[in-house]
Amino acid sequence: MSEILESTEIGRPMVRQDGPAKVRGLAPYAYEQPVQDPLHLHPVQSTIALGCIVSIDTSAAEALPGVVAVLTHENAPRLANTDDAELAVLQGHEVGFRGQFIGAVLAESPEVARQAAAAVVVDYEAEEHDADFRADHPQLTEPNAATADTFDGDVDTALRAAAHTVEATYTTPAEHNNPMEPHTTIALWDERGLTLYDSTQGPHPVRQTIAPVFGLQPDQVHVIAPHIGGGFGSKGLPHANVVLTALAAQRSGGRPVKLALTRQQMFTVAGYRTPTIQQVRLGADDDGRLSAVAMDAVEQTSKIKEFTEESGQPARMMYATPNRQVTQRLARLDIPVPSWMRAPGKCPGMFGPEVAMDEIAEACALDPIELRVRNEPESDPETGKPYSSRRLLDCLAEGAKRFGWDRRNARPGQRVQGRWRVGLGVAASTYPFLRQFSEAKVSYSADGTYAVHIGAADLGTGAWTALTQIAADALGVSAHRIRLEIGDTALPVASVAGGSSGTASWGAAIIAAADEFLAKFGVEPDPGAEVQTAAPRDSAQKEYAMHSFGAQFAEVCVNVDTGEVRVPRMLGVFSAGRIINAGTARSQFIGGMSMGIGMALHEQSVMDARFGSFVNHDFAEYHVPANADIADVDAVWLDEVDPLAGPLGARGIGEIGIVGAAAAVANATYNATGIRVRDLPLTPDKFL
Amino acid sequence: MNEATVNGQQRALTGIGAHTTALDWLRSCGLTGAKEGCAEGECGACAVLVAQPAESGRSAESGQSVASGQSDGADGADQTQWASVNSCLIPAAALNGQEVVTSEGLGSPADLHPVQSQMAANGSSQCGYCTPGFACSMAAEFYRCGRAGEAADVDGERSTDGAVTDDGGKPADGAVPADGTVPDDEHGPNGFDLHALSGNLCRCTGYRPIRDAAFALGAPQDDDPLAARRRKPAPGPVATDITGDDGRFVRPATLGETLDLMAGNPDATVVAGATDFGVEVNQRGRRDPLLIAVDRIDELRTFEATDSHVEIGAALSLSEVERKLDGRLPLLEGMFPQFASRLIRNRATIGGNLGTGSPIGDAPPALLALGARIVLVSPAGEREVDLDGYFTGYRQTVRRDDELIKSVRIPLPVAPLTAFHKIAKRRFDDISSVAIAIAGEVADGVITRARIGIGGAAATPLRAHDTERALLGNPWNEATINEAAAVLGAEGTPMDDHRASAAYRQSMLAQALKKFHAENDETLEVSA
Ligand SMILES: Cc1cc2nc3c(=O)[nH]c(=O)nc-3n(C[C@H](O)[C@H](O)[C@H](O)COP(=O)(O)OP(=O)(O)OC[C@H]3O[C@@H](n4cnc5c(N)ncnc54)[C@H](O)[C@@H]3O)c2cc1C
Ligand code: FES
Ligand code: FES
Repeated sequence: MSEILESTEIGRPMVRQDGPAKVRGLAPYAYEQPVQDPLHLHPVQSTIALGCIVSIDTSAAEALPGVVAVLTHENAPRLANTDDAELAVLQGHEVGFRGQFIGAVLAESPEVARQAAAAVVVDYEAEEHDADFRADHPQLTEPNAATADTFDGDVDTALRAAAHTVEATYTTPAEHNNPMEPHTTIALWDERGLTLYDSTQGPHPVRQTIAPVFGLQPDQVHVIAPHIGGGFGSKGLPHANVVLTALAAQRSGGRPVKLALTRQQMFTVAGYRTPTIQQVRLGADDDGRLSAVAMDAVEQTSKIKEFTEESGQPARMMYATPNRQVTQRLARLDIPVPSWMRAPGKCPGMFGPEVAMDEIAEACALDPIELRVRNEPESDPETGKPYSSRRLLDCLAEGAKRFGWDRRNARPGQRVQGRWRVGLGVAASTYPFLRQFSEAKVSYSADGTYAVHIGAADLGTGAWTALTQIAADALGVSAHRIRLEIGDTALPVASVAGGSSGTASWGAAIIAAADEFLAKFGVEPDPGAEVQTAAPRDSAQKEYAMHSFGAQFAEVCVNVDTGEVRVPRMLGVFSAGRIINAGTARSQFIGGMSMGIGMALHEQSVMDARFGSFVNHDFAEYHVPANADIADVDAVWLDEVDPLAGPLGARGIGEIGIVGAAAAVANATYNATGIRVRDLPLTPDKFL
Repeated sequence: MNEATVNGQQRALTGIGAHTTALDWLRSCGLTGAKEGCAEGECGACAVLVAQPAESGRSAESGQSVASGQSDGADGADQTQWASVNSCLIPAAALNGQEVVTSEGLGSPADLHPVQSQMAANGSSQCGYCTPGFACSMAAEFYRCGRAGEAADVDGERSTDGAVTDDGGKPADGAVPADGTVPDDEHGPNGFDLHALSGNLCRCTGYRPIRDAAFALGAPQDDDPLAARRRKPAPGPVATDITGDDGRFVRPATLGETLDLMAGNPDATVVAGATDFGVEVNQRGRRDPLLIAVDRIDELRTFEATDSHVEIGAALSLSEVERKLDGRLPLLEGMFPQFASRLIRNRATIGGNLGTGSPIGDAPPALLALGARIVLVSPAGEREVDLDGYFTGYRQTVRRDDELIKSVRIPLPVAPLTAFHKIAKRRFDDISSVAIAIAGEVADGVITRARIGIGGAAATPLRAHDTERALLGNPWNEATINEAAAVLGAEGTPMDDHRASAAYRQSMLAQALKKFHAENDETLEVSA
């Protein structure tokens, strides 16, 4: 257990450091980095889902004025390492999914590149592909790299003996992260190696991934990313677009090469959340104590690269029960490669079980909050370890009070106002605490400021601000004396901004560097004094189960005539350890909950199995919530410090806001209408 | 020379082709505040302000025909308004002689603009990619004449400190008022109309900190340069002829020139607001040899309201039409807020909506229910055609290639009972799955007038003649309505796709008719 940092700056709602530059439109994103005389790249994408390229005719494209080169698998530079099939761009004639990069045009302008890409003529030998995701897929397999199945006790016997049971199938659709900034890379080769201006959640992880692909030493890859226009996981690891740009830049005669994916291309090559089919079975005794919990999830992955959405995770640890079964199976299909999207695993994995909890509460004639009270575990059901903190019940109680939960009529379909049926719903939320290896550097300059360096990334989470506050408290000075630098691999190694681990990981490194700095140089250092160090490893995570918890409350209206669902009010109450910045944190929670409303009401990437591609691949057809969809959404948190969660006592806040949100909305629609919808999104036709 | 005033500075419109977008041109000038998020008018990351002629609602009252590009003669005369538009859809060439403000041009290097300081103070950006576009849309509303203008006293709930320390919290009676209306919260206490932000998407913040900033805005200061700019006339259209590798862009000075150019170039493409055309250019690589801009032709921008009809110029934007109508036609009033977003409506024209001839366009069903007629003009003169019968097939109409849509004429008086229902997947900023417009009259308990227009039910917008027949002359009661609703369900052949099933579309049409009856039932009983 590390010592907890005293706070002066921490906890304040200090305004975003990057706010003024962003409201002026002056914060530079990847595409806007000043480079000399760039060339522009436009990819050619496969129009079959499986098979190989027989011939590829680039002559018409090459003949267009302004075209510098057309890359294909026949002429592209060879990569040093092709183990990761997603990144092995233009290395062979095989096609593994529709939309895969099979070529690219390098041209003087983006328009010419695009026009020329359309002029490339490809002849394929198509094979019969399989893009049909279903629970009874004939070849469901166990994931190779994921948590093993859980079999505790005997679920089947317990279910047979249970006084009340719920057995149902719940589904969540494929969803796309859709950060507002399309994935963008500028690549430039020179004698030192490769420079990448990239829209990434982790400059250092990009370096670590890309260096071996090109046979480089990590220090030959320089990644720069001061501002990132959102990612939500899709920019957590480099995708094929980064490799393609770097590859093309080997043919540009030393000129920088720019590639910004179009919104449409983002639907095939930038990752997405896999759809899930969740078979959930719960058994309970008359008092509502769970005698069995089973969650058998089926997900899809791409045949060329395995990714497992660990949607079984929450069922392993949320509630106490003597009999538990959790399995995850994969349908391996000829489809785009899925990847991380905000709260991977936890987010879809809390939909089925949390709706099932609502159902069994009703079967037991218990309030859903009381049901959760009765099934609160003493220690972590998955590992048996004690919790560092588990305050789910406090969140539920606080939320119930604030939301007016006592006004909920347990009988569904009772509250009608005008042409709207109104209902309330609740669901639990959770997200694990993670901390990853990071280093930071602190140095002092003659002007009385401290330079704090760490190669982290701010994709909108507020790292520029929160890390400044942390550094100020760690050094015992006010925030205006901190000059933070992030977003560059020239700065000390920092982990990815993912898994809600950034602030805790980077903050711990900054605190370690500051502690060492103060020990070495005191509070009156000489200019030039400098310390670089990594955060010490934490033993607490070995001994304790460490998770954040939350309670999501939703009020919905369902239109009697049209079935339209609106969410006039939503409240999240979270227990996430210490909150570093009240302003940015609230925005993170509310942003996550709003994305959860999107998941509940609209978001769905529709796969056309005949072609193996997503049909609704743009903002006109894939609906993220608009202003009018988000009414009174609010988030509060328990005032606490987790003494075991590193020196900050903070467990991370970026993802928990979305977890459970869709289940709360779905449960509220049941309360409003008496219609139990188990398949997201909650489209109007399902309520008529 | 072709040039535009951007953030107060003259900039030559160089290096552009006929199809270069305003967004690409601005960014090539180093003004990278406006960003591309979708290149199809959906996200608003590319929003910028343009100076447009201001007009006031009732300025062309009864019979006074007025071209708003010139002088309005009334209170809105010779004034300018700042409109926020999607720069990804507008041809750069269309900016010739115009004034544009981007996020970089709001405020000064030393001071943030009031909109920007509120956004910074309220934490309105996370990743910030959407932020410059929001700043422009918010600024347009900040400068909207007639907005209440008083800063809201932001209530305590909006404080940024969310830690649970006190025993406060929300009142327990929830947000849904007992009168059954779902609260729309569409206006702030300072008169800020949230529709101003309907075309801007933010994936990070959940909009709340953006709304907090919007609702905290006061009125512009007296020395605010953009506020002052409103008191002078907007830049007039400037005849333009720009040729690039990709084709030629011409803005003729007169209607006559336009018609001649069209007659001499059968392959020419007319563009107005370019909200449909720009999508074609960006998403489907459309490149046409000759583009003729008609959005500022005076004869196409008339607005006339007499005792016998309302006439709407084809090149008026939907926002302009909305303001000019000023509530005169409740049916259209109901359509405007559901048509795309404010950003799109600031450019999209009525003529363009009819010109596109999309089966899911929103104006056609509304105009069909209103019995509108279309005025077409060509070198041979004008002719008037009934909108019912105008659409002949999927995106096909009776309009000849040498004809322009000049205006839309709506006969008065309009039937007293009207409704417009649009069923979309998302409340705003979305196209229709189906849309239906109804206009009717009941006398002595009998339906004496009924006109119904529907969209999304066939390859063209449709007049629901069979349904009308099932209503006309029959008693205004549930039995008649149910029978007519069954007929309505069978009009057209709605599609079955990922937006909505055919069955859902059909049932929504029928529902709309029933709702129309239910909503008007009481009024009629009272008045009977
Ligand atoms: C994001 C987005 C959302 C949208 N949402 C909606 C919606 O909710 N409802 C809806 O109905 N539409 C919607 N649209 C479509 C579009 O905005 C409308 O069709 C609009 O009215 C087109 O007008 P415009 O002036 O921009 O047309 P343009 O793009 O300039 O032209 C469209 C077509 O009409 C022709 N045309 C234009 N003016 C004339 C004229 N005077 N005479 C003859 N032909 C002419 C052009 O040649 C062209 O073929 C949306 C578009 C976008 C990009
Ligand atoms: S870029 Fe999305 S609206 Fe213009
Ligand atoms: S702040 Fe990221 S999209 Fe709005």
